[in-house]
Amino acid sequence: MTLLTATFYYMATASVVSALLAVTRRNPLHSLLWVLALFGHVAGIFLLLEAEFLAVVQVVVYAGAILIFYLFVMMLLDLSDEDTRPRFGNHWPFAAGAGLLFVAIAFIAQLERSNMVGIRGTPSGEGPLQGSLEGIGLALFGPFALPFEMVSLVLLAAIVGAVVLAQRRVPRP
Amino acid sequence: MIVPTNVVLGLSAILFGIGVFGFLARRNVILMLVSIEVMLNAINVSLVGFSQHFENPHGQIMALFVIAVAAAEAGIGLGLVIALNRNKPGVRVGDLTELKW
Repeated sequence: MTLLTATFYYMATASVVSALLAVTRRNPLHSLLWVLALFGHVAGIFLLLEAEFLAVVQVVVYAGAILIFYLFVMMLLDLSDEDTRPRFGNHWPFAAGAGLLFVAIAFIAQLERSNMVGIRGTPSGEGPLQGSLEGIGLALFGPFALPFEMVSLVLLAAIVGAVVLAQRRVPRP
Repeated sequence: MIVPTNVVLGLSAILFGIGVFGFLARRNVILMLVSIEVMLNAINVSLVGFSQHFENPHGQIMALFVIAVAAAEAGIGLGLVIALNRNKPGVRVGDLTELKW
């Protein structure tokens, strides 16, 4: 086992543990901080899987913007009685069963196609991914230009929707 | 390749299962949204794993779109939380029994 493989298994274990802690902690702030740990470890996994650009985006957008947004909204609300009320609904064993069922189905589906030898997609024709930023940029503004613009429309709709939903409605005099 | 693609997909499945559990079990609206973020992250892990397996950067572009949709979802979701909180303080989904006040 090389050092990189060991690093990958560390990242995988740490991300699973921090995800478990994030969904089970009673204090919402602690949950969000464990999600921060999860995002950091997933960024490390992206680095190991040769997706450098996505690792940077993960840190900047997920950990830097989305998570801070969650933290701000959580601090705006009054959650003082959160520690005293039950964190799970009474049906939580069913929820755990649904999660385990999903994991089991995914693993069985992988056993069917053991180690995916037979599957070959369309390779990009440039050999192994290296310097993937260039490939991503060329694809993003080439064949994926229309989806890219549509994503910007989705984000615009989300901005307008968030403003409309969260604004305070004052009655007209 | 550092690890087989199966390992990456297994990790993604486990993270997604944890997110499913969190979404269904938590009673706090904000933590349910956070569980959705965990699920979207699991999807990204599997997309990047496929991208490495097929030596094709298109998977990473899909992951980029997923991140953009996650940002939009966070904005809309938290706007809804603030609007609900203005009508009725608290973030418990069990308290939200009416659509209109």
